[in-house]
Amino acid sequence: MVAKIAKHTGAASLTRRSLLQGGGALLGALPLGACHKSSKSSTKATELSFWNFYAPSEQFAIPSKWFTDLTQAWNANNDVKVNLRYVPPADYFAGTVVQTAFSSGEGPDIFLISPGDFLRYYNGGVLADLTPYLSPETIADHIDGVLDTRKVDGKIYGLPMEVEPLAMYYSLQAFEKAGLSEADLPKTWDQLLAVARKLTKKDQFGVLFETTPGYYQNFTWYPFMWMGGASAVAGPGTTGFNAPGAIKALEFWQRAVQDGVCPRKCQGDGGSDAIANLASGYCAMQQTGIWSISQLAQKAPSFPYGVCRLPVPDGGTYTTAMGGWAFVANAKGRNPEAAAKFVAWALGSTGPDGAERCLQWNTVAKTNLPTRKSVYQAAERAGTFSKGPLATFMKDVVKGGRGEPRYTPEVYRVVSDAIQACQLGGSDPAKSAAEAATKIDLFLKQYQGARML
Amino acid sequence: MSGLARTAETAAAKAAAGARSARRRREAFAAYLFIAPDVIGLLMFVGLPMCLALGMAFFEVDGFGGYRFVGIDNFAKMTDDAMLWRSVGVTFAYVGGFVPLSFAVSLGLALLVREPFPGVGFVRMAFFLPNVISLVVAGVLWQFLLVDRRGAVPVLFRSIGLGNVSWLGDPRLALATLILISVWFLVGYQMLIFLAALKDIPQEYYDAAHIDGASTWQQFQYVTWPMLRPTSFFVAINSTVSAVTGLQAFDLVYVLTRGGPANSTSTLVFYIYQQAFTYNHYGYAAAMTAMVVGFLAMTTGLLFAATRGGRFDTATR
Repeated sequence: MVAKIAKHTGAASLTRRSLLQGGGALLGALPLGACHKSSKSSTKATELSFWNFYAPSEQFAIPSKWFTDLTQAWNANNDVKVNLRYVPPADYFAGTVVQTAFSSGEGPDIFLISPGDFLRYYNGGVLADLTPYLSPETIADHIDGVLDTRKVDGKIYGLPMEVEPLAMYYSLQAFEKAGLSEADLPKTWDQLLAVARKLTKKDQFGVLFETTPGYYQNFTWYPFMWMGGASAVAGPGTTGFNAPGAIKALEFWQRAVQDGVCPRKCQGDGGSDAIANLASGYCAMQQTGIWSISQLAQKAPSFPYGVCRLPVPDGGTYTTAMGGWAFVANAKGRNPEAAAKFVAWALGSTGPDGAERCLQWNTVAKTNLPTRKSVYQAAERAGTFSKGPLATFMKDVVKGGRGEPRYTPEVYRVVSDAIQACQLGGSDPAKSAAEAATKIDLFLKQYQGARML
Repeated sequence: MSGLARTAETAAAKAAAGARSARRRREAFAAYLFIAPDVIGLLMFVGLPMCLALGMAFFEVDGFGGYRFVGIDNFAKMTDDAMLWRSVGVTFAYVGGFVPLSFAVSLGLALLVREPFPGVGFVRMAFFLPNVISLVVAGVLWQFLLVDRRGAVPVLFRSIGLGNVSWLGDPRLALATLILISVWFLVGYQMLIFLAALKDIPQEYYDAAHIDGASTWQQFQYVTWPMLRPTSFFVAINSTVSAVTGLQAFDLVYVLTRGGPANSTSTLVFYIYQQAFTYNHYGYAAAMTAMVVGFLAMTTGLLFAATRGGRFDTATR
């Protein structure tokens, strides 16, 4: 019966031999496919892929348009075309898409990286040297120190598109309800905890720090460590983690949670999400970055808030961390030279169009501080930084700015474990710092990649 | 019977046997054709990647095309990796909580909805409903429900003085919370399996037990439970494997806690994921995967051997 059905459907013509032949042909085709891939990579492509996380969605409508305009302007005047590809932010920051693409030799030609990820890609040999495509004027136009974490041995491997300092945002309504004024804004860690206690209610926390483990939590914790003079990597091959500054910073975040003034879990997208946390009334003060100005302007325009510096420990020096993403070109991509030229053109052009492009990104598409002096001056002339929270950032917050460090994932993990253990696990900060320092030391002894900064 | 007739009979028997043999071959071939899509799919998308992953375990792989043969270094490295063994401990705790709880709850629910009553279809559907949504969506939903102090669950518990409990932010509670959410998610599916098995138990057994004066508990003890053993075995094995390597051991952790707070929910699969995609230690991740697969294969193999393939005492009859 089965044979009859097979015959009726025409499958009877299949013999064991033909099946084996078909299978053999299929297996034979696999290496041929691989050959095709390698031959494709040996020729210079005329189409480049540019991976980013600014999809044309409601959330990123304005920055997305900036990216679209950027590629359209390039494509109109160049034979090598650049195509945008969007990866959802959560997947881009901590997912598998980008990594899997590189692992399979299909990584993007141009992509965005944060300083925290720089060494992973640089040590992997996939970052193209952009220096030959940058004029001395362009390099000199960059604000002092802004290129440091993208440089190795004097060569530039990434062009930053923005500077994103961290600050403390506060809800004016929450302050008023608690009988506090801006004169009560905390200047020290002890004051912060005291004010947070007054602001803490049945369903509102006084202050919010990031609680989810990851690169972002480390980034937000570093300023507190730096304010006490400590550093995860103090110099080549040495850690400065087992130091009073790091221990105090671990203690400070631990106290905020144990006193019940800081939540153990953030809402929404975490500590960088001012809408889900500050504007929703979940917390009265929140440590977040300059990007939250545009977040609040777009999604909670009537929410009254203010911005101030991060408080300082007794005897400490004010410091904040400054993040920011950079354009990079894939050295193992389909056309690294064209990709590098695109990056240099997009963010390094010193002509009026180039300056305007950067100005638009930093003042219209997003709220950041520009990376170039000429753009900063243009923004000042336009009055962008003369009022409101942006003025506070420019006049006050940024003055103690320090670039987001570039550590390897191994160092990041050790620091992350120490933060988590103390903040949420209740571990002894001194013991955690000592254990972390031992692990970092052990790693640094055998580390051979580019210098950690 | 003459010799000629005998010869003719033998020839006819041989011809009949030959025809039977040819038919068996054709049927076997047809059977192979029927299972070929599954077999080819399994070989291509499971077997081949597993072999490649095992091969990768002997290399240091940087994720950017760099391969360096390191022999058994990746396996040796596991002995000194405290975080790995902590993740193994978290996984054992997760399995130890999830498997018995989901087993008991799903069996209880199946017994509850076994007999028809008004609205039984709706009740069965309601228990199964979590299973039809994505685990990621379920995770996001629970994140809202469990928000510190403001979520529906803390507000509910406020009246008994537990309003300040952080279900996902306290390392002492986070894993238990994940277990409860996993049970909520998977219990409907397991309930359906038990329900199907309960429906297969002949009514005559219960009638006989009833005539013998067996109580409800005794009916369960001496009829239901023994008859359910193969299904119970399947459910236990299936939930154990899915608790170690399945989606809920990863997706829920990824969405709800990212392994935190303080690594209290860093399951083994999540740790392997981090080694591969956060640290670019693909070779080491492959070695750990090989260890997990080996352990699961050995455990299930032993269990299958001890229970005669899950049929228990039926094979001896």
